[in-house]
Amino acid sequence: MKGRKRKITQVVILIGILLLGGYAVGTSLFKSDEKPKIGGRPPAFENVADVEGNLHSLADYRGRPVIINFWGTFCPPCVAEMPAIERQYQKYKDQGLVVLAINLSEDDITVRDFLKRFNLSYTILRDRNRMIERKYALRSYPTTFFIGRDGRILDIDTGGMTDEEIERYILRLLET
Amino acid sequence: MLENTKCECGHQNPPDTALCESCGKPLGTEALTDGPLEMRYDGVARRSQKSNPNLLDRIWSFFSSVKVAVVLIVITLIAAIFGTILPQENAFINFDPSWYEEHYGLAGKIYYMLGFSRTYESWWFITLLVMIGASLVICSLDRVVPLYRALNKQQVRKHIQFLTRQRVTYAADLEDDDAEWMRKLAEQFRKRRFRVRVEDNALLAEKNRFSRWGPYINHVGLIIFLLAVLARAIPGWQLDEYVGVREGEIAHIPETNYYVKNLDFEVEFYSDDELPERLKGTLRPKRFVTKAELYVCEANCGSTALEPVLRKVKEHDIVVNDPLEYKGLKLYQFDYDTTPRLKTIRPVLVDLKSGETYGPFELSILEPEPEYELGPYRLKLITRFLDFTVNADGVPGNKSSQPNAPAFLFLIEGPDLPEGGETFFYFPIPTDRERFGQDLINGELAERFDFRVTDMAHVEFLGDVSYLNVRVDRALPYIFAGAFISLIGLVMGFYWQHRRVWLRIDDGRLTLGAHTNKNWYGLRSEVAAALRSAGLEADPKSLDNGGKRR
Repeated sequence: MKGRKRKITQVVILIGILLLGGYAVGTSLFKSDEKPKIGGRPPAFENVADVEGNLHSLADYRGRPVIINFWGTFCPPCVAEMPAIERQYQKYKDQGLVVLAINLSEDDITVRDFLKRFNLSYTILRDRNRMIERKYALRSYPTTFFIGRDGRILDIDTGGMTDEEIERYILRLLET
Repeated sequence: MLENTKCECGHQNPPDTALCESCGKPLGTEALTDGPLEMRYDGVARRSQKSNPNLLDRIWSFFSSVKVAVVLIVITLIAAIFGTILPQENAFINFDPSWYEEHYGLAGKIYYMLGFSRTYESWWFITLLVMIGASLVICSLDRVVPLYRALNKQQVRKHIQFLTRQRVTYAADLEDDDAEWMRKLAEQFRKRRFRVRVEDNALLAEKNRFSRWGPYINHVGLIIFLLAVLARAIPGWQLDEYVGVREGEIAHIPETNYYVKNLDFEVEFYSDDELPERLKGTLRPKRFVTKAELYVCEANCGSTALEPVLRKVKEHDIVVNDPLEYKGLKLYQFDYDTTPRLKTIRPVLVDLKSGETYGPFELSILEPEPEYELGPYRLKLITRFLDFTVNADGVPGNKSSQPNAPAFLFLIEGPDLPEGGETFFYFPIPTDRERFGQDLINGELAERFDFRVTDMAHVEFLGDVSYLNVRVDRALPYIFAGAFISLIGLVMGFYWQHRRVWLRIDDGRLTLGAHTNKNWYGLRSEVAAALRSAGLEADPKSLDNGGKRR
């Protein structure tokens, strides 16, 4: 009788410790996973305006290979790789490739005047107050995320890219 | 074969009982020696001491071991030391993983790769804390329950060996009547605030039993403390962010649904007479205040395209150590930036040949108009840079998105100018004009035109930036409560001692034994004084029966 009651107390206490402890350890493991990682899902964003004012959400492009490129006019390697991205986009857009180039929260005139100098046909999105940038936990510019048709991050590239590098990424993307 | 654990007094004791729970007769290994008794937990068996342990019992007895607890605490302390070798990730506002390698070379890189850069949030450190927590709970329960039972149903009349093998013991032949003498002695103990029970020619005097619960109350406090620390992992319980907001502007507070508006920022500096010699002439802030308003976002909160719908919930003048507080959210004054940055200027266009001026016209740095009409001339804005630079390819561009070095490229059309106009670069900040060689860039046109700001009243600056530290720590009240309870337990255990005196009279022969958990010197003199007052001369030292000195 007494032994039974004692056993129940022991089980209840051990389960309690296991649950609380498991939760604490679990969240500490989960926390380090906040940043987007290769193989993980990219942070979602909704209703982000492009330069014409049309709204885009990442979910609109589900099932298609997507390149998310973060750039700013103040970042020379970002600017340098833009024509290369355009060339590769022209080459592969018929196969469903999407390029979303997110500007790093610069003001209207800067972005508008900058884009006049280039003839870019891929989508330029406007971040505001670094909201998307923070979600993607950017550490340096430019940073480019390659998202496969399965909606998972295939690769992440930091620093400027050449035509060949971009094409290699795209070919891998198209295989997903 | 089942061990016979029945005492001669008829009481059935659990296995591994050191002293009979009823009469106190030494059992098991305690019965084999004749030195002072092991009185810890009054000789009762701990709950985990079982004859046939299964898995559950094994886990239980692992955590119930004080040795295991000590090892866990030592490992945790050593692990915690690792977290103090190099700065932790959370010490950076903008953390960059390569920082460790840049500053400390390979050692820094290894430190980062091993995860010591976030020691205290790592799963293994949390696991250690959880194990210490388990050990605290189980160790305490395993001891406090039997101890409570033992102290709650104490027998007055104890086995003679129990008395003679106490560390404080005494024996003498009585001349007076037994009962009369017992009554006198009981009176003496009551005077000394003992609670006295007399039964069957035996006496038990006891005081300050509550001090025995001190360590367990301390442990309850520590468990609350530990749970509160672990609770910080619950989403929304802890936040430590920074937000910079310019005077007159509103900024989103990261990871929250709140916005903060900086109505006004003021900084006051120490005057030279208030500063020591070596600091004279330097700007030392004395006090800085942000008049702030807190808003909660009600719609379009995460959107980059739509304006958020905000509702004001609080206003406060934020001073160092006087944060804005709202529902557990605290905004502390952290830093400021008063570097002047242009907002609007009102320059005039000067025709250097004729000396004629046109304007002034209002030129906003952030939102300039596409065209300006100035007398016979027309200015068309081709582009504007906020932080002008010429990059490696010789192309003008921006160094950042902050208005550190604004520059305007105009197309000037008008009389005596070629069809389609001529371009003219304008740097509103005089030092930039020198630095980037405005006159050189503009060539011949520089000899004909210039923009001039004739009066400082024509210059308007952007407000100062106030940096705020945003904190949420919902665990803090529980941490304080836990620490306070733990302190109460420590005081109970440190400043009072549990003292017990047993005695029995068998045919006119008095046998006395006494026990305390600390301050044996005090116990001996108290017992000797009580005996003396009851007519028996006893030297405190003579009561000492040896044993461990504590």
